[in-house]
Amino acid sequence: MNDAPDRPHSLWTDAWRQLKGQPVALLSMAIVAIYTLMAAYGESVFWYYQWKDVTPSYQEIKVGQEYLEPSFLRQPFAPLAQASDLHTWGKSWVQTFRNLASHPLGTDNLGRDVLERLVQGSRIAFQVGIITSCIAIPIGVLLGCLAGYFGGKTDDVIVWLYSTFASIPGLLFILAISMVVGKGLLGVYLGIGLTTWVGLCRLIRGEVMKHKTRPYVLAARVLGASHARIMFRHILPNVFHVVIITFSLRFPAAISTEVFMSFLGIGVQGEPSWGIMISNARLRLWQGVWWEMTFVTIVIFAVVLAFNLLGDALRDALDPRLRTSER
Amino acid sequence: MWHYIWRRILQMIPTVFGVIVITFILFYWVGGSPAALTLGKNASPKTMEEFDEQRGFNKPLLLGRWSGTRAFPDTDFRRNAGSWRKALAITHVPPADRAPGHIVLPAGTNGAVPLLFGLRPQTTYEWRLTYRLDRGSATLRVGEHALTLPASPQWKEATLRMTSGSETKPPATLLRSDAAPLQLRSMTLRRQNAHALDSQFVFYLRQIARLDFGTSNFTNQRVSQMLKDGLGPSLSLTIPIFVVELIVAVSIALLCAFFRDTWLDRSIVVVTVILMSVNYLVWIIAGQYVLGHRLGWFPLWGFESWIYLLLPVTIGVVSGLGENVRFYRTIMLDEMYRDYVRTAFAKGVGSGGVLFKHVLKNAMIPILTSVIIAIPFLYTGSLLLEGFFGIPGLGNMSINAINYSDVDVVRAVVLIGAVLYVIANLFTDLCYAWVDPRVRLS
Repeated sequence: MNDAPDRPHSLWTDAWRQLKGQPVALLSMAIVAIYTLMAAYGESVFWYYQWKDVTPSYQEIKVGQEYLEPSFLRQPFAPLAQASDLHTWGKSWVQTFRNLASHPLGTDNLGRDVLERLVQGSRIAFQVGIITSCIAIPIGVLLGCLAGYFGGKTDDVIVWLYSTFASIPGLLFILAISMVVGKGLLGVYLGIGLTTWVGLCRLIRGEVMKHKTRPYVLAARVLGASHARIMFRHILPNVFHVVIITFSLRFPAAISTEVFMSFLGIGVQGEPSWGIMISNARLRLWQGVWWEMTFVTIVIFAVVLAFNLLGDALRDALDPRLRTSER
Repeated sequence: MWHYIWRRILQMIPTVFGVIVITFILFYWVGGSPAALTLGKNASPKTMEEFDEQRGFNKPLLLGRWSGTRAFPDTDFRRNAGSWRKALAITHVPPADRAPGHIVLPAGTNGAVPLLFGLRPQTTYEWRLTYRLDRGSATLRVGEHALTLPASPQWKEATLRMTSGSETKPPATLLRSDAAPLQLRSMTLRRQNAHALDSQFVFYLRQIARLDFGTSNFTNQRVSQMLKDGLGPSLSLTIPIFVVELIVAVSIALLCAFFRDTWLDRSIVVVTVILMSVNYLVWIIAGQYVLGHRLGWFPLWGFESWIYLLLPVTIGVVSGLGENVRFYRTIMLDEMYRDYVRTAFAKGVGSGGVLFKHVLKNAMIPILTSVIIAIPFLYTGSLLLEGFFGIPGLGNMSINAINYSDVDVVRAVVLIGAVLYVIANLFTDLCYAWVDPRVRLS
C-alpha cells in the first residue's frame, strides 16, 4: 500500500530522483567526490610529514630531477621494444609500469613532482572552500533568518549592514581584509568568509519572509513555540535548499579567489597551492616547460566546472521556481 | 517623482556612512598603527610618533580625551619589565606562580623613569601609577612638578597632572623613596587632547570631507594625484572591454532566444559553462603566451598606442563572456514566455519582429540595470590585466598597494569604489521609477 501513486515524498527524495536521471549531474558529483578524496589524501600526507617532522617530498629540492617531462613522453615503452624473449618481455612490462609511475605529470624547476603538488593544492583549495563556507554560511543564515522573521527595526539594521557590504567592491574588499590580517591562509579565510555572506543573507531573508505567514508557522506559534524554535526548527529546514545551492555555487568561487590571492603572493605561504603553481609555471612556460601550467589548468578547470554544473543541477532539482532549463 | 528621488537620496546616506565605518574599522581598528609597517622595525619611536601625529594615529579611536605616547610606552609590570629593563637601580620581580610581577626601587636611590624623547610642549599630561610602600613616603619628580606618594601597604593608585614646559628635550623624571623600597605595578603616561571628539574617527571623517585621501607610503605621492593619473589608462582598458562584451553577449543571447530549445541554444549554454570554469589567470597567461608570444599577433607589454590595448581587451572580453551570455540569455528567455510575446506571435508578427521590437525592448530594463551597476567597477580597472600588460592604471596600483601594505591607497580605492556603487544603485532605482510608475508610488 506504500506504493500508492499519491504517496507523499519529500523535496529531497524528489530532487534525488531528478538528479539520478541526469548523467551530467552524476558525473559532476563523481568528479567532486574524486577531488574530495584527493584533498583528504593530501591532508593525511601533509600530517604524516608533520608527524615525522621532515621536509615533505613535494617541497624537497631534488637536484638532477629538474624539468622532467610527464612520464608518458619519456619513452616509457622503450623496454617493451627492446624485449627479445618471453622472460625479458615480462620484466620489460614491469619496467614500463615503473617508468609510467615515476613523476607521471613531470617535475618543476626544483625537481618537485607536479602530481604531488597538485594533490596538495587540492587540499588547500578544499580547506578554503570549506572554512570560508563555515564562516559565511552561518552569518548569512543567522542574519537572513533574523531579518526575515522579525522585520521592522531588526530588518532595517541587517539590510543596512548587507547593503553596505554589498557596495564595497568585492575582490578589493577581500584583498584589503587579507592585507590587514596579514599574508597567509588566515587572511584568505577571513577575507572570503567575511564578505561573501551577503548573497545568501538576501536569499534567506526573502524566503523566510514568505514562510513567516504560512499556516504551519502560525500553527507553531499558536502551540507556543519560541521565536528561535520557529525560526530554526520550523522555517529553516524548509528554506535549507537555498543553503545547499549557495554552498555548491560559492565553493568554486572561493577556490578561484584563493588561486588568485596565492598567485599574487598574499595567499598561501610556503605550501604548494594551485595559485602558487600557476605563478611559478607562468615563468617556465616561456622556456617551453608547458606541463606544469597545463595540468594545473586542467585540475582547476575540472573541479570548478563540476561544481558549477552540480550547482545548476541542484538548483533545478531543489528550487523549481528558479528552473530555467525546462521552459 | 521628486519626492521619490529625495527619499532615495536620503536612503543613500546610511549606506555611505556604513561604508565609511567599515573602512574605518578595517584600516584603523583592526589594521592598527601603520607606522611600524611603513617605517620599518628600526625606526626610532620619535619618528614613529611624528608619523602618527601627521596622520592622526596618535588620537583615541572613537572618543576620549586621553591618549598614550610613544615616549613612554605602556608596560604591564605584572608580566614584564618592558622599557624599564635598562633603567638604573630598578629591579623587576617577574611573576611567580600566583603573584603577578612588579618592579622595585630600593630605598634611598634615584630611579630614572625611561622617557624615550621629549614631551610635546605646553600640553597637559597625566602620570598614573599603582604603587605599594610600607613606610615613609616617596616622590615622583618630573621637571619642576612633583607628586608625593604617601605610605600604603595596599596597592594604591596615584596621578600627577602636569603641563609640560616649552623645552623639547625630555624632562628629568625621577622616582625616589626615602625609607622603604617602592614597588610599582603599573605606570602610564597619558596626553590630553583638545577635546573628547578629537579622535581618529573624526580625523578620518574630516579627511574624507576635504577629499584628502592621504599620501602613499610607497611612492610618497598624494593619493588623489595617483588616482587622477591612473584613471585614464584604467578606463581606456575597461570601457572597450565593457562595451564590446555587452554587444557580443547581448547578440549571442538574442541568438539563443531566437533558436531556443534547439541544438544551437543548448550548445551555447554548454560552451558558456565551460568558458565560466576556466580560471581568469589562465585566460590571461594563455592569451599572452599564445596570441602575443607564439603567434606574435599583438605587442606583449606596454602602453604606447591603442595597438597595445587590443590583446588585453580581447582577453577581458573572452574571460567574461560565459557569465554575461548566461545572464543575458536568462533575461531574454524570461521575456520570451510573457503573455505579450504570445499575443505578438498570435497576431502574426514574425520571429525577428518579436525578438527585436518586443523582447529586446522589454529586456532593456534589466540590461540597463546591470550596465549601470557595472559602471563603478570600471573605475577600479582590471586588477590583473593591467599588471600583466604593463598598463599604468588603478588596478595595477591597487595590487601594488596591497602587496606593499600601502594603507592609504587601498583605503581610498575601496572607499571611492563603494561610493560610486551606491550612486550607481541610486541611478538604477531612479531609472526603474522613471520607467515603472508603480515603484515610485509604493
